Amino acid sequence: MTTFATVGGNFVREQLRAPLTLVLLVAIPAFFVVIFAAVVGQFADALGGTLAGRSATAISAGWAASFLTGTLAFFQVASSRGADRRLAAAGLGPMHVAQARIGAALVLATTVSMAAFVSLWVRSGIDHPLHASLAIGGFAAIYIGVGALVGAVVTDPLEGSLLVMLVFALDAFSGPQMTSSGGLAALTPTRHAANLLIAAAGGEGSPAGDWVNVALVALGSLGVAFGAFWFAARRRS
Amino acid sequence: MSAILNTVAARGDERCSVPGHCVLRVEGLEKSFRGGIPPWRRQVEVLRGASLMVCSGELVGLVGENGSGKSTLMQIVVGLLARDAGTVDRPARLGYCPQAPMLWDKLTIDEHFALYARAYGLDDDERARSVGRLLDELRFAKYRGERVEKLSGGTRQKLNLALALMHEPQLLLLDEPYSGFDWETYLRFWEMSERRRDAGMGILIVSHFLTERERLDRVYELRNGQAVEA
Repeated sequence: MTTFATVGGNFVREQLRAPLTLVLLVAIPAFFVVIFAAVVGQFADALGGTLAGRSATAISAGWAASFLTGTLAFFQVASSRGADRRLAAAGLGPMHVAQARIGAALVLATTVSMAAFVSLWVRSGIDHPLHASLAIGGFAAIYIGVGALVGAVVTDPLEGSLLVMLVFALDAFSGPQMTSSGGLAALTPTRHAANLLIAAAGGEGSPAGDWVNVALVALGSLGVAFGAFWFAARRRS
Repeated sequence: MSAILNTVAARGDERCSVPGHCVLRVEGLEKSFRGGIPPWRRQVEVLRGASLMVCSGELVGLVGENGSGKSTLMQIVVGLLARDAGTVDRPARLGYCPQAPMLWDKLTIDEHFALYARAYGLDDDERARSVGRLLDELRFAKYRGERVEKLSGGTRQKLNLALALMHEPQLLLLDEPYSGFDWETYLRFWEMSERRRDAGMGILIVSHFLTERERLDRVYELRNGQAVEA
Protein backbone atom coordinates (compact mmCIF):
# COMPACT_ATOMS: atom_id res chain seq x y z
CA MET A 1 0.00 0.00 0.00
CA THR A 2 1.34 3.45 -0.85
CA THR A 3 2.02 6.16 1.70
CA PHE A 4 -0.85 8.20 0.23
CA ALA A 5 -3.30 5.32 0.65
CA THR A 6 -2.14 4.44 4.17
CA VAL A 7 -2.17 7.98 5.49
CA GLY A 8 -5.25 9.12 3.58
CA GLY A 9 -7.14 5.97 4.59
CA ASN A 10 -6.42 6.61 8.24
CA PHE A 11 -7.52 10.23 7.88
CA VAL A 12 -10.87 9.10 6.41
CA ARG A 13 -11.28 6.53 9.20
CA GLU A 14 -10.58 9.23 11.78
CA GLN A 15 -13.50 11.31 10.51
CA LEU A 16 -15.98 8.48 10.08
CA ARG A 17 -15.41 6.94 13.49
CA ALA A 18 -17.64 9.46 15.24
CA PRO A 19 -21.05 7.76 15.38
CA LEU A 20 -22.86 11.09 15.37
CA THR A 21 -21.06 12.12 12.19
CA LEU A 22 -22.32 8.99 10.46
CA VAL A 23 -25.87 9.72 11.55
CA LEU A 24 -25.59 13.32 10.40
CA LEU A 25 -24.25 12.26 7.00
CA VAL A 26 -27.68 10.75 6.36
CA ALA A 27 -29.86 13.00 8.51
CA ILE A 28 -28.66 16.38 7.22
CA PRO A 29 -29.27 15.71 3.50
CA ALA A 30 -32.65 14.20 4.38
CA PHE A 31 -33.48 17.25 6.51
CA PHE A 32 -32.43 19.71 3.82
CA VAL A 33 -34.16 17.94 0.94
CA VAL A 34 -37.33 16.80 2.69
CA ILE A 35 -38.05 19.50 5.26
CA PHE A 36 -35.99 22.58 4.51
CA ALA A 37 -36.80 22.54 0.78
CA ALA A 38 -40.48 22.81 1.64
CA VAL A 39 -40.01 26.18 3.31
CA VAL A 40 -37.11 27.58 1.32
CA GLY A 41 -39.55 28.91 -1.27
CA GLN A 42 -41.02 31.16 1.42
CA PHE A 43 -37.53 32.41 2.28
CA ALA A 44 -36.91 33.14 -1.38
CA ASP A 45 -40.25 34.87 -1.67
CA ALA A 46 -39.44 37.06 1.34
CA LEU A 47 -36.04 37.94 -0.18
CA GLY A 48 -37.63 38.76 -3.55
CA GLY A 49 -36.47 35.59 -5.30
CA THR A 50 -38.33 33.04 -7.40
CA LEU A 51 -36.97 29.75 -6.08
CA ALA A 52 -39.75 27.20 -5.58
CA GLY A 53 -40.88 23.63 -6.21
CA ARG A 54 -38.42 21.17 -7.71
CA SER A 55 -35.72 23.82 -8.04
CA ALA A 56 -35.87 24.42 -4.29
CA THR A 57 -35.70 20.70 -3.56
CA ALA A 58 -32.76 20.23 -5.90
CA ILE A 59 -30.75 23.14 -4.61
CA SER A 60 -31.31 21.95 -1.04
CA ALA A 61 -29.39 18.79 -1.90
CA GLY A 62 -26.47 20.94 -3.05
CA TRP A 63 -26.59 22.94 0.14
CA ALA A 64 -26.64 19.81 2.25
CA ALA A 65 -23.52 18.58 0.46
CA SER A 66 -21.74 21.91 0.83
CA PHE A 67 -22.65 22.37 4.50
CA LEU A 68 -21.51 18.89 5.48
CA THR A 69 -18.36 18.93 3.39
CA GLY A 70 -17.33 22.37 4.62
CA THR A 71 -17.81 21.35 8.22
CA LEU A 72 -15.91 18.08 7.78
CA ALA A 73 -13.04 19.85 6.01
CA PHE A 74 -12.88 22.42 8.79
CA PHE A 75 -12.68 19.74 11.47
CA GLN A 76 -10.11 17.79 9.47
CA VAL A 77 -7.79 20.72 10.04
CA ALA A 78 -9.01 21.92 13.44
CA SER A 79 -9.04 18.60 15.27
CA SER A 80 -5.75 17.26 13.93
CA ARG A 81 -3.54 20.29 13.62
CA GLY A 82 -0.94 19.25 16.23
CA ALA A 83 -0.89 15.58 15.22
CA ASP A 84 -0.51 16.44 11.53
CA ARG A 85 2.35 18.83 12.23
CA ARG A 86 4.14 16.23 14.31
CA LEU A 87 3.73 13.63 11.56
CA ALA A 88 5.03 16.10 8.98
CA ALA A 89 8.04 16.96 11.16
CA ALA A 90 8.72 13.26 11.77
CA GLY A 91 9.60 12.90 8.13
CA LEU A 92 6.42 12.73 6.09
CA GLY A 93 6.58 16.44 5.25
CA PRO A 94 3.68 18.92 4.99
CA MET A 95 3.27 18.19 1.27
CA HIS A 96 2.47 14.50 1.81
CA VAL A 97 0.22 15.32 4.77
CA ALA A 98 -1.67 17.79 2.58
CA GLN A 99 -2.00 15.23 -0.24
CA ALA A 100 -3.43 12.65 2.18
CA ARG A 101 -5.78 15.24 3.68
CA ILE A 102 -7.09 16.33 0.27
CA GLY A 103 -7.57 12.68 -0.69
CA ALA A 104 -9.52 12.07 2.52
CA ALA A 105 -11.56 15.22 1.95
CA LEU A 106 -12.49 14.04 -1.56
CA VAL A 107 -13.58 10.63 -0.26
CA LEU A 108 -15.73 12.31 2.38
CA ALA A 109 -17.13 14.77 -0.16
CA THR A 110 -18.07 11.90 -2.48
CA THR A 111 -19.82 10.09 0.39
CA VAL A 112 -21.71 13.22 1.39
CA SER A 113 -22.65 14.00 -2.23
CA MET A 114 -24.00 10.50 -2.69
CA ALA A 115 -26.13 10.84 0.44
CA ALA A 116 -27.47 14.17 -0.82
CA PHE A 117 -28.08 12.78 -4.29
CA VAL A 118 -29.98 9.76 -2.97
CA SER A 119 -32.10 12.02 -0.75
CA LEU A 120 -32.96 14.15 -3.75
CA TRP A 121 -33.73 11.17 -5.94
CA VAL A 122 -36.00 9.59 -3.33
CA ARG A 123 -37.77 12.87 -2.64
CA SER A 124 -38.53 14.17 -6.11
CA GLY A 125 -36.86 12.13 -8.79
CA ILE A 126 -34.31 13.73 -11.10
CA ASP A 127 -34.69 14.18 -14.82
CA HIS A 128 -30.97 14.61 -15.40
CA PRO A 129 -29.33 12.41 -12.74
CA LEU A 130 -25.82 12.67 -14.16
CA HIS A 131 -25.96 16.46 -14.33
CA ALA A 132 -27.46 16.63 -10.85
CA SER A 133 -24.82 14.35 -9.32
CA LEU A 134 -22.00 16.37 -10.92
CA ALA A 135 -23.54 19.62 -9.71
CA ILE A 136 -23.89 18.29 -6.15
CA GLY A 137 -20.27 17.12 -6.35
CA GLY A 138 -19.35 20.65 -7.42
CA PHE A 139 -21.03 22.10 -4.33
CA ALA A 140 -19.10 19.66 -2.15
CA ALA A 141 -15.73 20.26 -3.82
CA ILE A 142 -16.13 24.02 -3.45
CA TYR A 143 -16.80 23.71 0.27
CA ILE A 144 -13.70 21.57 0.85
CA GLY A 145 -11.83 24.78 0.12
CA VAL A 146 -14.05 26.92 2.34
CA GLY A 147 -13.81 24.54 5.32
CA ALA A 148 -10.08 23.89 5.01
CA LEU A 149 -9.28 27.59 4.58
CA VAL A 150 -11.24 28.53 7.70
CA GLY A 151 -9.58 25.66 9.59
CA ALA A 152 -6.12 26.84 8.61
CA VAL A 153 -6.58 30.40 9.85
CA VAL A 154 -9.01 30.03 12.76
CA THR A 155 -7.76 27.74 15.53
CA ASP A 156 -10.78 27.80 17.83
CA PRO A 157 -13.33 25.07 16.91
CA LEU A 158 -16.35 27.14 17.92
CA GLU A 159 -15.25 30.29 16.09
CA GLY A 160 -14.24 28.28 13.05
CA SER A 161 -17.44 26.31 12.75
CA LEU A 162 -19.47 29.51 13.15
CA LEU A 163 -17.45 31.13 10.39
CA VAL A 164 -18.07 28.18 8.06
CA MET A 165 -21.75 28.51 8.93
CA LEU A 166 -21.70 32.24 8.13
CA VAL A 167 -20.08 31.70 4.73
CA PHE A 168 -22.60 28.95 4.01
CA ALA A 169 -25.56 31.12 5.04
CA LEU A 170 -24.39 34.07 2.91
CA ASP A 171 -23.78 31.76 -0.02
CA ALA A 172 -27.07 29.88 0.27
CA PHE A 173 -29.33 32.86 0.87
CA SER A 174 -27.72 35.00 -1.84
CA GLY A 175 -27.66 32.29 -4.49
CA PRO A 176 -29.56 32.10 -7.79
CA GLN A 177 -33.33 32.63 -7.52
CA MET A 178 -33.06 33.39 -3.79
CA THR A 179 -33.01 37.18 -4.05
CA SER A 180 -34.27 39.82 -6.39
CA SER A 181 -31.31 42.16 -6.37
CA GLY A 182 -28.70 39.72 -7.61
CA GLY A 183 -25.99 41.82 -5.95
CA LEU A 184 -24.29 39.20 -3.82
CA ALA A 185 -25.46 36.39 -6.06
CA ALA A 186 -22.79 37.31 -8.58
CA LEU A 187 -20.12 36.68 -5.94
CA THR A 188 -21.27 33.47 -4.29
CA PRO A 189 -18.94 30.53 -4.91
CA THR A 190 -21.67 27.99 -5.67
CA ARG A 191 -23.80 30.08 -8.06
CA HIS A 192 -22.73 28.16 -11.19
CA ALA A 193 -23.25 24.81 -9.48
CA ALA A 194 -26.67 26.03 -8.33
CA ASN A 195 -27.62 26.96 -11.90
CA LEU A 196 -26.62 23.47 -13.08
CA LEU A 197 -28.60 21.81 -10.32
CA ILE A 198 -31.73 23.87 -10.89
CA ALA A 199 -31.57 23.12 -14.61
CA ALA A 200 -31.00 19.40 -14.00
CA ALA A 201 -33.99 19.23 -11.68
CA GLY A 202 -36.18 20.69 -14.42
CA GLY A 203 -34.87 18.26 -17.00
CA GLU A 204 -32.90 20.90 -18.86
CA GLY A 205 -29.31 20.85 -19.93
CA SER A 206 -26.88 23.65 -19.10
CA PRO A 207 -24.66 25.74 -21.33
CA ALA A 208 -21.02 24.69 -21.58
CA GLY A 209 -20.02 27.94 -19.91
CA ASP A 210 -21.71 26.88 -16.66
CA TRP A 211 -19.89 23.56 -16.67
CA VAL A 212 -16.56 25.24 -17.29
CA ASN A 213 -17.23 27.76 -14.53
CA VAL A 214 -18.15 25.06 -12.01
CA ALA A 215 -15.04 23.08 -12.93
CA LEU A 216 -12.82 26.15 -12.57
CA VAL A 217 -14.28 27.20 -9.21
CA ALA A 218 -14.13 23.62 -7.89
CA LEU A 219 -10.53 23.15 -9.01
CA GLY A 220 -9.56 26.53 -7.59
CA SER A 221 -11.22 25.62 -4.34
CA LEU A 222 -9.37 22.30 -4.17
CA GLY A 223 -6.15 24.22 -4.78
CA VAL A 224 -7.01 26.52 -1.88
CA ALA A 225 -7.80 23.47 0.27
CA PHE A 226 -4.46 21.88 -0.57
CA GLY A 227 -2.69 25.09 0.39
CA ALA A 228 -4.68 25.26 3.63
CA PHE A 229 -3.85 21.66 4.56
CA TRP A 230 -0.18 22.32 3.80
CA PHE A 231 -0.26 25.57 5.80
CA ALA A 232 -1.72 23.78 8.84
CA ALA A 233 0.97 21.06 8.75
CA ARG A 234 3.95 23.28 8.07
CA ARG A 235 6.61 24.61 10.43
CA ARG A 236 5.34 27.64 12.35
CA SER A 237 7.08 30.99 12.41
CA MET B 1 25.43 2.50 15.90
CA SER B 2 28.15 3.33 13.44
CA ALA B 3 25.74 5.61 11.62
CA ILE B 4 25.50 7.68 14.75
CA LEU B 5 29.23 8.29 14.66
CA ASN B 6 28.91 10.07 11.34
CA THR B 7 26.02 12.33 12.08
CA VAL B 8 25.89 16.00 12.63
CA ALA B 9 29.33 17.03 12.82
CA ALA B 10 32.06 16.49 10.60
CA ARG B 11 32.83 19.31 13.05
CA GLY B 12 33.47 17.06 15.99
CA ASP B 13 33.31 18.70 19.36
CA GLU B 14 35.97 18.57 21.98
CA ARG B 15 33.26 18.20 24.62
CA CYS B 16 32.33 14.76 23.33
CA SER B 17 34.41 11.86 24.54
CA VAL B 18 35.04 10.81 20.95
CA PRO B 19 35.52 13.61 18.42
CA GLY B 20 32.80 13.70 15.80
CA HIS B 21 30.15 12.19 18.07
CA CYS B 22 28.12 15.36 18.46
CA VAL B 23 24.49 14.62 17.52
CA LEU B 24 23.03 18.00 18.36
CA ARG B 25 24.63 21.40 18.23
CA VAL B 26 22.51 24.49 18.85
CA GLU B 27 24.25 27.85 18.59
CA GLY B 28 22.96 31.35 19.26
CA LEU B 29 19.31 30.39 19.05
CA GLU B 30 16.92 33.32 19.19
CA LYS B 31 13.15 33.23 19.20
CA SER B 32 10.50 35.74 20.05
CA PHE B 33 6.73 35.61 19.76
CA ARG B 34 4.57 38.49 18.64
CA GLY B 35 1.00 38.88 19.78
CA GLY B 36 -1.87 41.34 19.63
CA ILE B 37 -2.80 43.76 16.88
CA PRO B 38 -1.11 47.08 16.01
CA PRO B 39 -0.59 49.45 17.75
CA TRP B 40 -0.88 47.19 20.80
CA ARG B 41 1.35 44.54 19.31
CA ARG B 42 3.86 43.22 21.80
CA GLN B 43 6.84 40.97 21.48
CA VAL B 44 8.04 38.42 23.98
CA GLU B 45 11.63 37.27 23.67
CA VAL B 46 11.90 33.65 24.75
CA LEU B 47 15.33 32.55 23.54
CA ARG B 48 18.23 35.00 23.44
CA GLY B 49 21.22 33.25 21.97
CA ALA B 50 20.76 29.82 23.55
CA SER B 51 23.52 27.32 22.77
CA LEU B 52 23.91 23.70 23.76
CA MET B 53 25.20 20.40 22.48
CA VAL B 54 24.49 16.72 22.95
CA CYS B 55 26.94 13.93 22.17
CA SER B 56 25.98 10.42 21.16
CA GLY B 57 25.78 8.17 24.20
CA GLU B 58 24.87 11.10 26.43
CA LEU B 59 21.77 11.79 28.51
CA VAL B 60 21.47 15.54 28.88
CA GLY B 61 18.89 17.39 30.96
CA LEU B 62 17.25 20.70 30.12
CA VAL B 63 15.74 22.50 33.09
CA GLY B 64 14.25 25.92 33.67
CA GLU B 65 11.26 27.72 35.10
CA ASN B 66 7.84 27.54 33.49
CA GLY B 67 7.91 29.71 30.37
CA SER B 68 11.69 29.72 30.18
CA GLY B 69 11.61 28.36 26.61
CA LYS B 70 12.41 24.67 27.02
CA SER B 71 9.57 23.44 24.83
CA THR B 72 10.20 26.24 22.33
CA LEU B 73 13.83 25.17 22.01
CA MET B 74 12.76 21.56 21.51
CA GLN B 75 10.22 22.50 18.86
CA ILE B 76 12.79 24.54 16.96
CA VAL B 77 15.22 21.60 16.96
CA VAL B 78 12.49 19.24 15.74
CA GLY B 79 11.38 21.64 13.02
CA LEU B 80 7.92 22.48 14.32
CA LEU B 81 8.86 26.11 14.92
CA ALA B 82 11.01 28.45 12.85
CA ARG B 83 13.86 30.24 14.59
CA ASP B 84 14.62 33.96 14.37
CA ALA B 85 18.38 33.47 14.46
CA GLY B 86 21.02 30.88 15.26
CA THR B 87 21.97 27.48 13.89
CA VAL B 88 20.79 23.96 14.59
CA ASP B 89 22.83 20.96 13.47
CA ARG B 90 20.98 17.74 14.06
CA PRO B 91 20.68 14.32 12.45
CA ALA B 92 17.86 13.46 10.07
CA ARG B 93 16.87 10.47 12.22
CA LEU B 94 15.44 12.21 15.20
CA GLY B 95 12.75 11.20 17.67
CA TYR B 96 10.54 13.72 19.45
CA CYS B 97 8.18 13.11 22.33
CA PRO B 98 6.19 16.30 22.94
CA GLN B 99 4.95 17.37 26.35
CA ALA B 100 1.28 17.10 25.33
CA PRO B 101 0.67 14.02 23.18
CA MET B 102 -0.02 15.12 19.59
CA LEU B 103 -2.19 12.19 18.55
CA TRP B 104 -5.38 11.47 16.61
CA ASP B 105 -8.13 10.67 19.11
CA LYS B 106 -10.13 8.44 16.78
CA LEU B 107 -7.23 6.28 15.61
CA THR B 108 -5.93 3.18 17.37
CA ILE B 109 -2.44 2.60 18.69
CA ASP B 110 -1.65 0.29 15.77
CA GLU B 111 -2.88 2.88 13.28
CA HIS B 112 -0.57 5.46 14.83
CA PHE B 113 2.35 3.09 14.43
CA ALA B 114 1.36 2.52 10.78
CA LEU B 115 1.36 6.26 10.09
CA TYR B 116 4.70 6.88 11.78
CA ALA B 117 6.27 3.88 10.06
CA ARG B 118 5.48 5.69 6.80
CA ALA B 119 6.96 8.93 8.07
CA TYR B 120 10.14 7.16 9.20
CA GLY B 121 10.41 5.02 6.07
CA LEU B 122 10.21 1.68 7.91
CA ASP B 123 9.16 -1.40 5.96
CA ASP B 124 6.62 -3.87 7.34
CA ASP B 125 9.22 -6.14 8.97
CA GLU B 126 11.09 -3.30 10.62
CA ARG B 127 7.83 -1.86 11.87
CA ALA B 128 6.60 -5.16 13.30
CA ARG B 129 9.92 -5.74 15.08
CA SER B 130 10.14 -2.26 16.47
CA VAL B 131 6.50 -2.03 17.55
CA GLY B 132 6.60 -5.45 19.21
CA ARG B 133 9.69 -4.49 21.19
CA LEU B 134 8.24 -1.16 22.35
CA LEU B 135 4.88 -2.65 23.31
CA ASP B 136 6.75 -5.17 25.44
CA GLU B 137 9.12 -2.65 26.97
CA LEU B 138 6.36 -0.23 27.90
CA ARG B 139 3.83 -2.98 28.56
CA PHE B 140 0.81 -1.70 26.69
CA ALA B 141 0.38 -4.41 24.04
CA LYS B 142 -3.14 -5.22 25.20
CA TYR B 143 -4.33 -1.77 24.16
CA ARG B 144 -2.92 -1.81 20.62
CA GLY B 145 -6.36 -2.09 19.04
CA GLU B 146 -7.88 0.67 21.18
CA ARG B 147 -8.58 4.19 20.01
CA VAL B 148 -6.56 6.93 21.68
CA GLU B 149 -9.72 8.60 23.03
CA LYS B 150 -10.35 5.49 25.15
CA LEU B 151 -6.87 5.31 26.66
CA SER B 152 -5.79 6.56 30.06
CA GLY B 153 -3.39 9.50 30.25
CA GLY B 154 -0.51 7.20 31.12
CA THR B 155 -1.13 4.88 28.17
CA ARG B 156 -1.40 7.83 25.81
CA GLN B 157 1.95 8.98 27.12
CA LYS B 158 3.42 5.53 26.48
CA LEU B 159 2.24 5.75 22.87
CA ASN B 160 3.62 9.27 22.65
CA LEU B 161 7.01 7.99 23.76
CA ALA B 162 6.90 4.84 21.62
CA LEU B 163 6.24 6.89 18.47
CA ALA B 164 9.43 8.83 19.15
CA LEU B 165 11.45 5.63 19.56
CA MET B 166 10.15 3.30 16.87
CA HIS B 167 12.83 4.17 14.31
CA GLU B 168 15.74 4.02 16.79
CA PRO B 169 16.67 7.68 16.35
CA GLN B 170 20.20 8.99 16.64
CA LEU B 171 18.93 11.89 18.72
CA LEU B 172 15.95 11.66 21.05
CA LEU B 173 14.20 14.77 22.35
CA LEU B 174 11.91 14.21 25.31
CA ASP B 175 9.75 17.01 26.64
CA GLU B 176 8.59 15.89 30.09
CA PRO B 177 7.85 12.44 28.72
CA TYR B 178 6.73 10.76 31.93
CA SER B 179 3.74 12.86 33.00
CA GLY B 180 0.95 10.40 33.76
CA PHE B 181 3.31 7.45 34.29
CA ASP B 182 2.90 5.38 37.42
CA TRP B 183 6.00 4.81 39.53
CA GLU B 184 6.83 1.45 37.95
CA THR B 185 6.55 2.84 34.42
CA TYR B 186 8.54 5.89 35.46
CA LEU B 187 11.41 3.67 36.61
CA ARG B 188 11.13 1.58 33.44
CA PHE B 189 11.29 4.75 31.39
CA TRP B 190 14.65 5.63 32.92
CA GLU B 191 15.94 2.10 32.37
CA MET B 192 14.92 2.33 28.72
CA SER B 193 16.59 5.72 28.34
CA GLU B 194 19.80 4.58 30.00
CA ARG B 195 19.91 1.44 27.87
CA ARG B 196 19.58 3.49 24.71
CA ARG B 197 22.10 6.04 25.95
CA ASP B 198 24.56 3.18 26.57
CA ALA B 199 23.93 1.94 23.02
CA GLY B 200 24.98 5.33 21.66
CA MET B 201 21.79 7.36 21.36
CA GLY B 202 22.01 11.04 22.27
CA ILE B 203 19.13 12.09 24.50
CA LEU B 204 17.99 15.56 25.51
CA ILE B 205 15.27 15.55 28.15
CA VAL B 206 13.28 18.35 29.70
CA SER B 207 13.16 17.59 33.39
CA HIS B 208 11.83 19.28 36.48
CA PHE B 209 12.93 17.05 39.29
CA LEU B 210 16.17 17.56 41.13
CA THR B 211 16.11 13.86 42.04
CA GLU B 212 16.72 13.03 38.42
CA ARG B 213 19.97 14.93 38.28
CA GLU B 214 22.00 11.85 39.19
CA ARG B 215 20.62 10.02 36.17
CA LEU B 216 21.81 12.73 33.78
CA ASP B 217 25.28 13.13 32.34
CA ARG B 218 24.97 16.89 32.05
CA VAL B 219 22.32 19.50 32.72
CA TYR B 220 21.59 22.80 30.98
CA GLU B 221 19.48 25.39 32.66
CA LEU B 222 17.55 27.88 30.53
CA ARG B 223 17.84 31.24 32.22
CA ASN B 224 16.94 34.57 30.61
CA GLY B 225 16.73 32.90 27.24
CA GLN B 226 20.20 31.37 27.43
CA ALA B 227 21.30 27.84 28.18
CA VAL B 228 23.79 27.66 31.02
CA GLU B 229 25.49 24.41 31.90
CA ALA B 230 24.57 23.72 35.51
